Amino acid sequence: MQRIDAHSTHKYGDFKLRIGKPLPFGATIVPGGVNFSVYSSYATSCELLLFNKHETNPFGIIPFTNDFRIGNVFTMVVFDIDYENIEYGYRMDGPFDPGSGHRFDKTKILMDPYAKLIGGRDIFGEKPDWDDPYQHRARILYDDFDWENDHPLETPVEDLVIYEMHVRGFTKHKSSKVKYPGTFAAIREKIPYLKELKINCVELMPIHEFDEFENSRISPVTGQMLLNYWGYSNLGYFAPKAGLAATGKYGMQADELKALIKDLHKNNIEVILDVVFNHTAEGNEKGPYISYRGIDNKTYYMLTPEGYYYNFSGCGNTLNCNNPITRNMILDCLRYWATDYHIDGFRFDLASILGRNQDGAPMHSPPLLEVLAFDPILAKCKLIAEAWDAGGLYQVGSFPSWGRWAEWNGKYRDDLRKFLKGNGSSGAMSQRLQGSPDLYQWQQRGACASINFITAHDGFTLMDLVSYNGKHNEANGENNNDGGNDNDSWNCGFEGETDDPNIANLRKKQIKNAVTMLLISQGTPMILSGDEMGNTQWGNNNAYCQDNEISWLDWNMTEKNSELLNYFKKMIAFRHKHPVLRSNTHFRNYDYAGSGYPDISWHGTKAWYTDWSNNSILAFLLCGKHAKQGKVQDNYFYAAMNMHWEMHGFELPKLPVNMSWYVFANTDVAPPFDICEPGQEYLMENQNEFLVGPRSIIILIGK
Amino acid sequence: MEIKTDIQENTKIIMISGSLDGKTAPEAQEKIIPLIEPDNILVVDLSNCKYVSSAGLRLLLMIAKQVPSKNCKLFLTGLTEEVKDVMDMTGFSNFFKIYGTVKEACDMGASCT
Repeated sequence: MQRIDAHSTHKYGDFKLRIGKPLPFGATIVPGGVNFSVYSSYATSCELLLFNKHETNPFGIIPFTNDFRIGNVFTMVVFDIDYENIEYGYRMDGPFDPGSGHRFDKTKILMDPYAKLIGGRDIFGEKPDWDDPYQHRARILYDDFDWENDHPLETPVEDLVIYEMHVRGFTKHKSSKVKYPGTFAAIREKIPYLKELKINCVELMPIHEFDEFENSRISPVTGQMLLNYWGYSNLGYFAPKAGLAATGKYGMQADELKALIKDLHKNNIEVILDVVFNHTAEGNEKGPYISYRGIDNKTYYMLTPEGYYYNFSGCGNTLNCNNPITRNMILDCLRYWATDYHIDGFRFDLASILGRNQDGAPMHSPPLLEVLAFDPILAKCKLIAEAWDAGGLYQVGSFPSWGRWAEWNGKYRDDLRKFLKGNGSSGAMSQRLQGSPDLYQWQQRGACASINFITAHDGFTLMDLVSYNGKHNEANGENNNDGGNDNDSWNCGFEGETDDPNIANLRKKQIKNAVTMLLISQGTPMILSGDEMGNTQWGNNNAYCQDNEISWLDWNMTEKNSELLNYFKKMIAFRHKHPVLRSNTHFRNYDYAGSGYPDISWHGTKAWYTDWSNNSILAFLLCGKHAKQGKVQDNYFYAAMNMHWEMHGFELPKLPVNMSWYVFANTDVAPPFDICEPGQEYLMENQNEFLVGPRSIIILIGK
Repeated sequence: MEIKTDIQENTKIIMISGSLDGKTAPEAQEKIIPLIEPDNILVVDLSNCKYVSSAGLRLLLMIAKQVPSKNCKLFLTGLTEEVKDVMDMTGFSNFFKIYGTVKEACDMGASCT
């Protein structure tokens, strides 16, 4: 039956209209037309502009008369428009008084903050028409994707192995041999590779619409165009980036991304989105009018008492996350991605900003973080905070969590890197291996509050971590001043690429050591895409602007560094096989399963004795009878880490009778003896002692 | 856009030429839906269809969802490489039986009955 409200009640020129519904915000297809709804607390008037796709001049300008305003929401239904071929924008009038926080300009065409599709940068890197007054153009999405029986996977967080990747960089290199490089569709072609690697979660770097041409420039060093390649700068929070979809030129990016997610789910791979709610692409008072500034500047941005933009993001402005209206927009956005895109979790960039008050002060119980922690729709989504911001707030171990939020554990990264190069701390390392109870246990947060990582998009790749002492960001055109300086890296004796086989071998060993430590740590491991194939950025530790070979994965490396790839695959498979490595509760340090062994015990060159003053040697034993708090049975597990430059003998703890030690991995030896197929470990002749090579790790299984 | 139909017993060959998009999909829908009659084989030939937009694909999928209830079979043929790629990348092709030529589709249809 047809709805009785599917007919117009008003006319404006040739346009047939009806009073709209304020909810949902944005543009929604309704019987016979499209419902437009946009809010502004301070605008005095609003016009809807309708464009044919790509055209500079609108074919219709329709004012929202008083009839079409409910509270502070402007809303109308426009009938008989070809939703597929139009773009829409708004113009709003209101006070221009920066001192009071208002910057209305009725000449600017503004994008809908709730736009589900955004045109204007349909093909990544294609030069825009700078004369177009409406650069980022809201479009209308038909959101009836057929998910069939797909459902977010809800994989227990302790069982995840996260793979952080850039959609474009993953397949843009010609060696990827995919049909449409650098796109969502291309990732689908690489699912067999991800399955073989056995990661079960991809964390996609920003896929919301951004402008790769924001601050674009020619590198004075390389002469290449520098773009905002990473995309940590949102235009709109509800729209997937067209330029990351092969079908973006047809406006089908939403379907392409959904098809990817559906296919990943079919292969038991979760999808986490990296979301950037700390600032927008509008910059400071000198930046452009794209949307928020012209719609409700005072609502969306944190402003100084003089009306300037606070800059806790380091990017010119700061989203006013704890304003109740902005807060609702963020909630609407996350709910939308969880329901319409079946997203499994979110990683919040510079999340400490989400806990700042409207005047910038850190809050004790930030309402936004609390709402997200308890939201019924997001209840099964992973929530991961990058628990710091560019304004100096560092909250690793203290991010307001309500037991729900996990954190990128920056301390894990730093302590592991130091230990890896031999100047760390055994005490700190023991905490990191246990899921950082020093940071999380006192708040009753489990081991998986800790997202463990050694490398991420920010900073060196793993190969570069063992190949460079210092960053080499000259190509970024900022005199090597950008990017972090606290890398805790070591080049193994030569800065950069080398033919010296001893150095090359040591680097490979260090990479194996690093990933071994990562995957035997309690907590949730995250691997940076490409590390498994020894990807290099030639020492660039801040490749945000490099849309070229510096950032793109060279798939030839899977052959050149097949030794590393093989090691990663087996190490990941080993973690999946052994629940003793995947507890979400902290160790109790005693025997509560009646095995005669504590759940975890610490050792050194002597069994049952740890010299905590020796900061390059550490060994530990996990009792298999305590796996998952004694609920499942696993093998006994022993790891000895020798980060000293000399070989050391490790006395092995005795196993229960009828059990023997088997070697799973030894990073000191060449393939194929460096690592076994999990389950095919080989029996040790000497059950009492193991000589662990210089800068090496061994892993034994007691069975 | 233009639609021609060639009816041979219970097989209906529907040839769409031009563009199948938001502008033309409603008309295509009006013409195609009545052709879904019990126990028919529908072959939609897109070899002269240069562009199928999101709305066009949605129309085809809507048809595909309706045919089982009338015990019909639906086949698509003659997709240009671009249309086929778009259907693959957006997941639409999962819902269709796609063949290179009308003859192949008709043979397949005949062997199904």
